[in-house]
Parts: sequence; structure tokens; C-alpha cells
Amino acid sequence: MNTTTLLRPPSSPSPIGRDLRAAIRSEWIKLGSIRATPIFVGLSIAIGVAMSLILGAIVKTDPYDHLPFTIGNTFLVSSWLTTLFAVVAGTLLFTSEVQHGTLASALTSRPSKPIIIGAKVCIAAVLGFVMGTLGIVGGLSGGLASGMATGDMSGAGSGVGWALVLTTLAPVLGLGVGLIVRHSAAAVTSVLVWALAVENLVRGMAPASVSRLLPFTAANGLLGTRSAADTPETLAAVFSSVGNAAVIGCWAVAAVAIGTALLIRQDS
Amino acid sequence: MINVSHLTKSYGERTVVDDLSFELAGGRITGFVGPNGAGKSTTMRMMVGLARPDTGTVTFGGSNYAELRDPARAVGVVLDARAMHPGRSARNHLRAMAAISSLPSARVDSVLHLVGLETAADQRVGGFSLGMRQRLAIAGALLGDPDVLMLDEPANGLDPNGIRWLRTMLTDFAHAGGTVFVSSHFIAELATFAHDLVVVGNGRLITAEPLIATLDRDRSRSLEDILVDLTSDAARYTAA
Repeated sequence: MNTTTLLRPPSSPSPIGRDLRAAIRSEWIKLGSIRATPIFVGLSIAIGVAMSLILGAIVKTDPYDHLPFTIGNTFLVSSWLTTLFAVVAGTLLFTSEVQHGTLASALTSRPSKPIIIGAKVCIAAVLGFVMGTLGIVGGLSGGLASGMATGDMSGAGSGVGWALVLTTLAPVLGLGVGLIVRHSAAAVTSVLVWALAVENLVRGMAPASVSRLLPFTAANGLLGTRSAADTPETLAAVFSSVGNAAVIGCWAVAAVAIGTALLIRQDS
Repeated sequence: MINVSHLTKSYGERTVVDDLSFELAGGRITGFVGPNGAGKSTTMRMMVGLARPDTGTVTFGGSNYAELRDPARAVGVVLDARAMHPGRSARNHLRAMAAISSLPSARVDSVLHLVGLETAADQRVGGFSLGMRQRLAIAGALLGDPDVLMLDEPANGLDPNGIRWLRTMLTDFAHAGGTVFVSSHFIAELATFAHDLVVVGNGRLITAEPLIATLDRDRSRSLEDILVDLTSDAARYTAA
């Protein structure tokens, strides 16, 4: 024990970069040391493989244009589901800490909520990138295994890039939801209800110029996929890839910002 | 020197801590006692920045907790022994704590050995008894080799060997110059090793004095009896 530690004046504040790196290391250890992480990662691969297999071996043709599915136009389809799971994983990055009381110990070790949240944002992004990459690999593998023709792969590079942008931002959005809702079951339920029900309802009732501003609608636009609720009007109103990425990014930033503001205001 | 000055905290219309002031000196063990709901845990949470006081300040050597350059090296904190992810091993729990405080990972094995959990290090915390969780929580507090230990009811769940180990550890810590601030309902146990007492009731300070002075109030009675009398008017239990 160094009895002079307390007497040493804080003449130079602890550097933010050092604190953030330490917090990121801690978050990385936390992420890697629980069973949920390999489950989410495994789900990403499994979803990719399963969806491609189903589309290639069972469905075989696109129900909208009746053209046969190819690897080129299906290997990214699973990324929408990967995105959904990534959002859920992101919520749990925070809500599980609240649930188990470990947020308090993190804050006593590093009494800066923005640093802790900043570290979680970084880890969420890494997790999303990994899940997205594995989902795409799974999609390619499943497509090959199903015997689908390769098809047009000319857009594959940019498609992969935008899909990874989506899955990287997704857990950050989920983290923001978790910061706001603070309860695991409520946060996960909110995400699922929003993605699977609310956005479909809004697409059915609101003008396309409004519904395209929703995050999971923008996700569809970014991936070039469509949902059963889409109409020619909604499809025509889809933003460019940059626009869709910006929509999702804005939702993620807003959710994290609001959640951080709430966290700073509240006692831990 | 730790200085708590005029701390006040209310949740809605309920004042949980009311103009609380006391000092903690180095090299001494201060027991923090009072009935349930007296504001002990809230006070400790305010001391380490987990709750924002409505008024008042807490300083550690002149700085508040958030200003400490390396809080974990200055203050070791145990507020809730259950605050652990059940799916994480004891070792990884401590590794995460060491990492966020920029502490060497070698400290993890050191503190696990210190608290007697080295053989359970790679077991999931979910399978730990309360006593094992308390030991792990104390291990976390010791990671930074701090100057101050703040412990909220650390003896809960410990068996007699564990309570003896805790008493010896805290006594040695204070002898080496460290400051110990420990809340406990085990008054008889506290009487064997505490130097000073801070007694609170209904969020207010009842007394802050050396243990000997408290015992001198009535030498014919136990510390427990004296404290129960001191706090009898303050023992009102209400839901949060």
C-alpha cells in the first residue's frame, strides 16, 4: 500500500485516452467471458447459412420478380436478421450490467460515465462488425452448399461494405436502447416489437417519406432487401446507401446520446 | 484524511441522509452503524460518487472521488457482494476490474490467494456461496492495493473462519496506515477491532467518537445495548 497515494495532488488529470483504453480492455474482457457472446456469434453464422440454404434449396425463386435466387442476390439477406440480433446484443451490453449490479463497480473503478459508455460503444461496434462478417460468411457458405448459381457478384463488394456498416451500427443503437430502458427484458422486447411490428405498421400508414426514416426500414434499404409491407411507393422512396447509413447512424447516435444524458442525471 | 461534510440526500420527499458530517483518520478502523434505513449505504454511495448529494461534499485527501487520479489505487470499495455477473468466472471478474483501473493482471492471482479463492478462480460466480462472493468482492477492493477500504456489511455470509480472517485483514490494514470504513450489524464483532464509531439514525448523525468513548457511556452494558439505545428513536422502517 502506498500511503502517499491520497496525498498526491491530482495536478494533472488522468488522460482521457488512457482511461478510455483501459475501459475498452475491461469491456473486452467482460464480453469475452460470458456464454452469451459465443451464442450471438454462433447465431450470426447459423442464420447466414440457414437463410441461404432455405432460399437456395427450398424457396429457389424470388416471389416478387420470379427470378431464381443466386448467391449474388441472397448472401446478404440474412444480414437483416443479424442486424436484429446485433441490436439485441447491444442492449444487453448495458442492461446486463444494471441487472447484475456490475455497473456500480465499473463506476467506482472509473468514475466517468461518458468513458464507460464510450468504451461500450467501441465494443458494441466491434461485436457488430464480427457478427456481420460471420453472417456474410455464413450466407456465402449456405449459398454454395445449396447449389445456387453464383449470379451477378459485381455489387458484392459495396454490398458487403454497407452490410457491415449496418451490423456495426446496430449494436450501438441497441446500446442506446439499453441505456434508455435499463431493463434487459423490456429493452429486448422493445427492440423486437419495434422492428417486427411498429415499423411495419408505420410503413402501412405513414407516407413513404416518413417511413424511410425508420431504422429497420433504412436497414432494408441498405441491404437492398424488401419486406412484405413494402409497396412500390415505399421502394421508390428509399434513400441511397449513404442516406440509409446516415439514418441508422443518426438513430444510433441519438439513442446513445439520450441514454448517456439520462445515465449522467441518474444515480447509479 | 477523509472528510464528509454536511451531506444531504433526498429521494422525493424522503430525506435519506440529513446534514451528515464526520471525518475518517488514517490508520484507524471506523465502524459505521445504525438501524436499517438509516442512510449508511446511501452515504457510502455518495462518498464514491455513485449517488449525487443534494448538498455537502466528500473529500479524500482534499479531492473528491471523481478527481482521484486512480480511484482503485486510493479507495477499495465493497458495496454489494452480489454485484457480479453469474456467468463470469471469479478470475475474469477480477481481470475486468483490474483492466479498467489499469492495474497489472498479476494482481488478480495475488488477491485471489489473499482471500482464499485461488482454487475457485475459474469457477463461475453463479455457483458461489454468499461467503465466497463476499471474499471475491473484497478481493476486488484489494486489487489496487488501496489506502482506504470502504466496506458495506462485508461480514454478511462469512463463516466464523471468514469473519476472523476479515477482522485480521482489516486490523493489519489499519496497522499499516490504511483507513477502514466498515458498516456492519455485527456489533459484537465490530467491538473487537474498530477504533472509532460513526452512528447514524434517520439519516442524521447521532454520534461520531472513539469506540472507547461509546463504551464509557455505560461500562456495565455491551456495545450492542448502548447502540440500540442510541438509535432506538431512529429505528423506523419504511419502504423506499
